[in-house]
Amino acid sequence: MTTRDRRKGSALHEVIKDIDFERRELLGKEKGVGLLELVKDEQGEYRCYTCTLCERTCPVDCIQIDYCPEFPEEPFDAEAARKAALATLPGESCGAASACVMGEKPAQFVPEVDLKRLDPVIAGIRSGSGLVEALHATQEAYGYLPRVALEAIAEEMRLPLSRIYGVASFYSQFRLRPVGKYVIDVCMGTACHVAGAPLVVEAFSQELEIPVGGTTPDGLFTLQTVNCVGACALAPVVRIGNEETYGRMGPSEARRLVRKLRKQEAAK
Amino acid sequence: MRDPETIAAIDAALQAALDKSAYLADDTKKEIRICAGTACHASGRVALREAAEAALAKRGLTDTVRIVETGCHGFCQQGPIVVIRPQGIFYPRLKPEDIDEIVETSVVGDGVVERLLYRHPQTGETIALEKDIPFYALQKRIVLSLNGKVDPFSIDDYLAHGGYSALAKVLKQADPLAVIEEIERSGLRGRGGAGFPTGRKWRSCRANPGEKHYIICNADEGDPGAFMDRSVLEGNPHSVVEGMIIAAYAIGADNGPVEGYVYVRHEYPFAVQRLRRALEQARERGLLGKNILNSGFDFDIRINQGAGAFVCGESTALTLSIEGQRGMPRGKHIRTVAHGLWGQPTNLNNVETYASVPWIINNGADAFAAIGTATSKGTKIFSLTGKVANGGLIEVPMGATLREVIFGIGGGMLPGRHFKAVQLGGPSGGCLPASLLDEPIDFESLVAAGSMMGSGGMVVVDDTTCMVDFAKFFLRFTAEESCGKCVPCRVGTTRMLEILERISAGEASLEEVDLLERLAQEVVEGSLCALGGSAPNPVLSTLRYFRDEVLAHVVDRRCPARVCRPLIQYTIDQNACTGCRACVAVCPSGAISGERKQPHTIDTSLCIKCDACRQACRYDAVRVETGILEPAGRAAAGGRRK
Repeated sequence: MTTRDRRKGSALHEVIKDIDFERRELLGKEKGVGLLELVKDEQGEYRCYTCTLCERTCPVDCIQIDYCPEFPEEPFDAEAARKAALATLPGESCGAASACVMGEKPAQFVPEVDLKRLDPVIAGIRSGSGLVEALHATQEAYGYLPRVALEAIAEEMRLPLSRIYGVASFYSQFRLRPVGKYVIDVCMGTACHVAGAPLVVEAFSQELEIPVGGTTPDGLFTLQTVNCVGACALAPVVRIGNEETYGRMGPSEARRLVRKLRKQEAAK
Repeated sequence: MRDPETIAAIDAALQAALDKSAYLADDTKKEIRICAGTACHASGRVALREAAEAALAKRGLTDTVRIVETGCHGFCQQGPIVVIRPQGIFYPRLKPEDIDEIVETSVVGDGVVERLLYRHPQTGETIALEKDIPFYALQKRIVLSLNGKVDPFSIDDYLAHGGYSALAKVLKQADPLAVIEEIERSGLRGRGGAGFPTGRKWRSCRANPGEKHYIICNADEGDPGAFMDRSVLEGNPHSVVEGMIIAAYAIGADNGPVEGYVYVRHEYPFAVQRLRRALEQARERGLLGKNILNSGFDFDIRINQGAGAFVCGESTALTLSIEGQRGMPRGKHIRTVAHGLWGQPTNLNNVETYASVPWIINNGADAFAAIGTATSKGTKIFSLTGKVANGGLIEVPMGATLREVIFGIGGGMLPGRHFKAVQLGGPSGGCLPASLLDEPIDFESLVAAGSMMGSGGMVVVDDTTCMVDFAKFFLRFTAEESCGKCVPCRVGTTRMLEILERISAGEASLEEVDLLERLAQEVVEGSLCALGGSAPNPVLSTLRYFRDEVLAHVVDRRCPARVCRPLIQYTIDQNACTGCRACVAVCPSGAISGERKQPHTIDTSLCIKCDACRQACRYDAVRVETGILEPAGRAAAGGRRK
């Protein structure tokens, strides 16, 4: 017996009573009756969401889904759900009828900048590496390009800061703002686009409550799009950091992934 | 030819490089080849390797059976892939728990695990051998011939398969002009998209005087939906290195110093890592650096990473980017072969072009020229993706028809879907309809059809893709990636995008469709580089072949593919809905209501059209309707709708 919390927006609780145990007595244990159990996922949440499919398709009618008196089902209040959903909308200015927060400025998250980590970059410049290479190395050290680091590079290369800024802002890989712990790259290549990547980006944007390019105020997530990661057979593809690649994503998988990572972080 | 002593010295040096190898090619030994391409990596090849190691250790075979992590096998849809040599048994979509059985049956014994074999999608028969699978049987692999055979981290493998013998041949011959002549005779044309004859480029680069000649490999594969260059660099980086050294010799020998650069995308971390390792190994074995193979020829290669600018695939922008500037193309009245990197004569070729060079030198120009059509020789690699049954990396002879590629190698469409268009050439190319499926693939016929070869992206779309939305996707891409130097490209693409957005919202008039076409022409004429010059191609080809679909948006205000959001509406089929609440669970905006086991309804004022309910429904009860808006009487008559 368990309850399953619904998302905010519809305060509906559902209850499942899993197996009809009376039948176990009738059929005897040797057939494996009564061994059915609800499976929990890694986070300890029941994977069953009472879709009643098993009840309706069971050939021997041994599954019965019932309401539990301890958890009375709240009737679905369409008006309340509507109000709750409208409350998350950005308001009239946006025009798009979606629950995103485009246009809202996320709180800035600024970590300390330790200039010591720039030493290898400066050494690289002295041994002849170009500006783009130097910026890559800087971004590797800090995760983004802090202004003080750009100033140090400008001084070392004897170039005006405006020139460095011009190059840094020209290339889409360089970030002038700090990024979150998890950088979510949603591939927007052609194959991913026709397989539904825009829906995936939107789902991430709504679930994280940040626009594309934004970072969550807690500094955990940054949402980005990339042009093509070249794993078109797995479209739509999402990459987190440079290592983890997730294929065949949909809007629901995207939301689930964010919740999983959030839970992992909360557990730490 | 050189004198016999030098020839002997070169042979001795190549032999010395071979002698350092820990591995010798042996076609009778058992090998487990695990594909380590990006797609197979994402599908879990690391776990496969661990399982294979454990299975071998259990049987005490760790030292006798080699596990090779190869480059991309190409059949990415079926990943992760394992091939057992020497039989060549192909196991697709493996799980770590299956490995033990495979080791027992196919490595220890000589049998096959029937239940894990590839099944023909139409007939359902199992096919055991890699070479018998239609996806591979219909290809002709020249550049990719060693992909899937060699370990990209090991120069031993490449040497064992005859690697660097083309370089030795060139160095022994000691006639750079003969090399250029050979390449010219082979008819090799640049594989990056434009198709400029490679031999002629080398010749003019050699003829241009300069303090130093630069050899650049363009691996800035920016086209979305294309991954040929990455797969070559990841699967067989030494072939590119060898091709570059041969080019450097042809252009730079007895002609002053030469230096090489590989400009590779930062989005391809595996490719960078493998290429870096390949360069180190080549230097260790005396194949790169000073006095290559005792011949007295010096050449070295540096890696330069891009930073996510599509325009940097253009040659003048690329050289500026290496110099540490913004990658903004310049006019090409003076070509890069005369005035390129740091103002010096520069030869710039694509990854695939360089990778074809060793094969041409080894097998002769005539063998290469025998493949293909009158104007396009050899083979071309494509990344076949989209809504096709067997997607992946393929190599076909020039002149093969689109039908052979999509329905032969690609296995046709997914079940229940119909072919609508194939997009070639990425954001610079165009969409071709079903009526052009029998067009041969070569440089000229594709351009005549309104598309282009491009770098080799081939995206197949079916009836669920809206062509207006598809054109919008490419135009948004080029509008974002436009460097901003030429006004027609910077402003023109943005204005075109706005018109397309109005079309997909059902707000455009017929005049605006004409305006779109005129604007496209102006952007083509008024842009300096190929990005602006070809940016309107997706729009123009859509208007050429799919005008009906565009007009459906404008006049009837409906989206036949049910994609454009303002023109569609989600509803639940009251007869099909079982009230299972699966859609309620996934709806992010609380728009679905209804009693349990009773048909549900969607509140369209709350629905954000995210498609989650349709994907969650197991009974196909969520329907997408179009034609909800009344046809545009006033708009069609010419008035602007507010």
